[in-house]
Amino acid sequence: MTPTYYLLLSALLFSIGTIGVLVRRNAIVVFMCIELMLNAVNLTLVTFARVNGQLDGQVMAFFVMVVAAAEVVVGLAIIMSIFRTRRSASVDDSNLLKY
Amino acid sequence: MQEQFLAQAQQQVNAPDIAYGAIAPVLIVLGFACLSVLVEAFVAKERRWGLQIGVAAAAIVLAGASLAAFISSNDAAGGPTGKTGVTTLAGAVSVDKPALFLWGTLLALGVLALLLIADRTVGGDMQTEVFPLFLFALGGMMVFCAANNLLTMFIALEVLSLPLYLMCGLARKRRLISQEAAVKYFLLGAFASAFFLYGLALLYGYAGSVKLADIATAAVGTDRSDTLLFGGLGLLVVGLLFKGSVGPFHTWTPDVYQGAPTSVTAFMAACTKVAAFGGILRVLTVAFQSTQWEWRGVLWGVAIASMAIGAIFGLTQTDVKRMIAYSSVAHAGFLLVGAIAMNTDGLSSTLFYLLAYGFTTIASFGVISLVRSGSGEATDLSQWAGLAKRSPLLAGVFTFLLLALAGIPLTSGFIGKFVVFSAALRDGMAPLVVIALVFSAVAAFFYLRVVVLMYFSEPAEDGPTVSVPGAFTTVAITLGTFVTLLLGVLPGFVLNWASSGGFLS
Amino acid sequence: MTHTLLAAEGALPAAGVAQSAWLLLALPLFGAAVLLLGGKATNKWGHLLGCATVILAFVYGLTLFLSTTSLKAADRIQELHLFSWIPVDSLSIDFGLRLDPLSLTFVLLITGVGSLIHVYSIGYMSHDTDRRKFFAYLNLFVAAMLLLVLGNGFVTLYFGWEGVGLASYLLIAFWQHKPAAATAAKKAFLMNRVGDVGLAVAIFLMWANLGTTQYTEVFAKIGTLDGGTVLAISLLLLLGACGKSGQFPLQAWLPDAMEGPTPVSALIHAATMVTAGVYLIARSNPIYDLTADGRLVVTIIGTVTLLIGCVIGCAYDDIKKVLAYSTVSQIGYMILGVGLGPVGYALGITHLLTHGFFKAGLFLGAGSVMHGMNDEVDMRQYGGLAKKMPITFATFGLGYLALIGFPFLSGFYSKDAIIEAAFGQEGWRGWVFGGAAMLGVALTAFYMTRLMLMTFFGEQRWKNLKSSDGRDYHPHESPAVMTVPMIILAVGSVFAGFLLTNGNFLANWLEPSLGELKEAGHPPLPAAAMTALSLGLMVVGVGLAWLFVGRKPVPVTKPERVSWVVRAARADLYGNKLNETLFAKPGEALTKGLVIADDKAVDGTVTGIAGALAFLSSRLRRTQTGFVRSYALTMLGGSVLVVAALLMVRFS
Repeated sequence: MTPTYYLLLSALLFSIGTIGVLVRRNAIVVFMCIELMLNAVNLTLVTFARVNGQLDGQVMAFFVMVVAAAEVVVGLAIIMSIFRTRRSASVDDSNLLKY
Repeated sequence: MQEQFLAQAQQQVNAPDIAYGAIAPVLIVLGFACLSVLVEAFVAKERRWGLQIGVAAAAIVLAGASLAAFISSNDAAGGPTGKTGVTTLAGAVSVDKPALFLWGTLLALGVLALLLIADRTVGGDMQTEVFPLFLFALGGMMVFCAANNLLTMFIALEVLSLPLYLMCGLARKRRLISQEAAVKYFLLGAFASAFFLYGLALLYGYAGSVKLADIATAAVGTDRSDTLLFGGLGLLVVGLLFKGSVGPFHTWTPDVYQGAPTSVTAFMAACTKVAAFGGILRVLTVAFQSTQWEWRGVLWGVAIASMAIGAIFGLTQTDVKRMIAYSSVAHAGFLLVGAIAMNTDGLSSTLFYLLAYGFTTIASFGVISLVRSGSGEATDLSQWAGLAKRSPLLAGVFTFLLLALAGIPLTSGFIGKFVVFSAALRDGMAPLVVIALVFSAVAAFFYLRVVVLMYFSEPAEDGPTVSVPGAFTTVAITLGTFVTLLLGVLPGFVLNWASSGGFLS
Repeated sequence: MTHTLLAAEGALPAAGVAQSAWLLLALPLFGAAVLLLGGKATNKWGHLLGCATVILAFVYGLTLFLSTTSLKAADRIQELHLFSWIPVDSLSIDFGLRLDPLSLTFVLLITGVGSLIHVYSIGYMSHDTDRRKFFAYLNLFVAAMLLLVLGNGFVTLYFGWEGVGLASYLLIAFWQHKPAAATAAKKAFLMNRVGDVGLAVAIFLMWANLGTTQYTEVFAKIGTLDGGTVLAISLLLLLGACGKSGQFPLQAWLPDAMEGPTPVSALIHAATMVTAGVYLIARSNPIYDLTADGRLVVTIIGTVTLLIGCVIGCAYDDIKKVLAYSTVSQIGYMILGVGLGPVGYALGITHLLTHGFFKAGLFLGAGSVMHGMNDEVDMRQYGGLAKKMPITFATFGLGYLALIGFPFLSGFYSKDAIIEAAFGQEGWRGWVFGGAAMLGVALTAFYMTRLMLMTFFGEQRWKNLKSSDGRDYHPHESPAVMTVPMIILAVGSVFAGFLLTNGNFLANWLEPSLGELKEAGHPPLPAAAMTALSLGLMVVGVGLAWLFVGRKPVPVTKPERVSWVVRAARADLYGNKLNETLFAKPGEALTKGLVIADDKAVDGTVTGIAGALAFLSSRLRRTQTGFVRSYALTMLGGSVLVVAALLMVRFS
């Protein structure tokens, strides 16, 4: 196998996630883009684990998944609560704190 | 492949040795955090508040006691390993002298922050969930300072960050800006930790391990691509700098500081900075010392940018919490100056600075929480005009704290800046020190602006009232101010402790 | 090394009674501390404690003196090492006391006169609500003054020097509600600073050139320095002496200092503190012995001052200011005396002691008069008080006779000795200095007689007048607590001179400290002729005063149409004007120039930068838009920069 393709793919996914964060307005979608970035990292980890012939990277991918799940819990809670008060999930509407 | 796995499974699994004595403070804090969750679930609402304070206080006190016990046994042990500390949990956690210092700092600052959070008489706009979150965050910070591999560091980063995101949104009054702060902090924090993680992955690819020591070994001699090393380092550092609110990764800081409940801001401002710079110091010193000539110039630039952003943006702020936030950005720049002076003085002076800055900051936010108008805290600076006429003691204390932040002699801020800058000078970074001095002068301007406003302006007609502080807040402010003065006059003891040893990996 | 030097100078470690010499400092200091820290609780008995500490110090001083007189002359210099004071690198200053005839003489003067004036103050300050604070400051002064004379090095002396300056400042401004008192205190403080700088620089020079500031070591090594340095040190010491002792050109503060309570004027600004300059020069005699030019400057300063003091004293109507200028002039005599070198050190100190008695007595008498006259100081409002205040009149009169040099009273012995020694100088100097001193005798007799006549004789002018606060005058004798010290001092004014000079008693006693008193060289006139001349001049002065003042009624208001001499004298011989034109005006101009430069150039730059930064800030803060996505973009931009920079550094 050629790890380069996998690494390029994961870099691409990471970039897509990054750009998503920058261009999307809905907080849920922004958050999903961040999840995409994390998963891109998982792909990198697994690739390097394979290259190195170790299990470490794969184990780390599991860790990342668990953390991502925890992040989802916290993130959705926060987004839900702000949605309840504002009736909007657009990140651009949260604009009281500035300058 | 499969045979390989099976063969491994059949091997005897050796459980790693755990030095329970060394990591007891962390275990206690996290254990009590779990206990606190149970209290939250099973204790009747009216009894919860008092009980939760008790649990949190007990956690910190016991952790402090076990920390003291370990330090004394560690010092008594002597010998080559006993003196410098221990690594445990299969090398994942390194309880060395800097880690012990940072733990002590975090626990001490934790007490002060807890006092502010627990005082219902002035703030009183949070639910009891804040206590388990507080303990988890504190535990995460402690692990973060001692993490000896990047994965542990990442987990600790999340353990400290996730509760903080939630704590920011806990305010009952001024709920909109509190929630906005939580969302911003969360989204940007998750964004930054993705960078950190990608950096981790690249470094794993480079070194084949995420242990800091292995990365250091690999950086000295390996044929892997340096793109992986420096790309990974860059992304990793970005994640760390974000937590330390170093410019230009500071953008969340003013908004979150302003929006979060003031007691949470105090905790976040002081303890997160300690944890973040503890991590930065460890990563740079342990893993990347050999490549310092490549990355130091870049961090010079970051430090200058941070000082400039903090000092210049702070000049025209109209909200006192935002102003302190920009001050924290400037201070992050000064701290980075100490952190990249790769010598023992740089380490000890940065540790001292963190401790001094933490106490001053918490006391400042304690004072801010006392100045209130009808709709809650009066954080707009125009409302602070002439405060000294109405409340001379409060204005006096705040003036002293602002002078400490500005780094005027007889305060801990001065000693902190002095030791950091002299460490940087000894490491041949004279131009950076000159720039830092210029920006401290600029920053002093906006602190003094508040002093002038408090003392030489006529009080506004409908100005805020200064509420009578509860006992907890009084103790917190008094302690913070006292330590600020004490470290300004007699810094020797803390400096000695901070320079008692280096990192162990 | 140190020990051999000490032995060479004959300073022995203190033994016996002398080992408790620290008590001299501790007693009054303890009093001051208790009174200041004790606050109002000590109001009732504070003045008694204040007196007790000083009287005890006097008793101890007397014991010490008597025990020292029983020693051999060579053993009379003792040093008591207390502790190491400033041990910094090679600069090591010990806090020690030097107990020798000179310092013991001063101890007796300070504690003796100090005790009397403390007692007197109980009565004088009895109506003052802050009497306790007054005694605290007086005790502080006594402690500082004793430190000044007892210190065994120039740095200890400097410490005491500043201490008495502080006490003097506090006491002049004791009635700070009077603007004149506050201004006078400031003036005294500032002019003293000028002198203090001189003293400080002199000490720096000693340290730089000799590496020590202890008396014994400085005096042992001073001979190794070249003449220029010694001259510089001696002139700088003289500048210090001029500041403290109110000598030309720094004399202007002393008359103004009379705004303080009268006991302060008597103790600090007549008997003790203002003589510190004389002490300094006498103490530094090994330095002045080496530089004839330095001594010449000292004598010139002394001569000029003694004439200035006399002339101005003739024109003032304020009883305390006349006495103050008299003090200036008498200290001029002392400075002239010590400036004569080995022929005059002991004479200057003798005159200092007798002057301490009669001038303190005169001030206390003036205080007693003011006490009975509603605190009025204008002599034109007095007149005929002799009958109303017989004791005050008698004691004041004896002090007066002693001061003008009436035969066989104190001043006669001590002043004439200085005049004779001045005439003994070679060539023109003898005639100039001696002649000036002789002229001073006539002037002194004139202004003091004028004072006596206006105060105690003639018409009782106060009968038809009211004091400035609207009360009638009811002159009365002061209580015993005030008159007894005056009587004791009057006795001293009568006999001190004879006792001290009889058989050269004082000169012999001081010999271990000041060296042998040499005979003046070649007096152009025989001693008897000089005595006769000075007595004649005295009579002329008294007669002229009677002609001008005693024959005719004294106008109640000051006559304005007077000759230019009187106008000049009333304007302090333009001393203040001189200071103003020479120093204050150019100083002000310089300050103004600097302020303008600061405003325009420095402030302009600073405010310009500040304005630019504030402008920048107000623009840049708009980049903090509040949109989370723009924050993310900033972070991404920063990350890209950091990573790109890292890679560029690595691969370039």
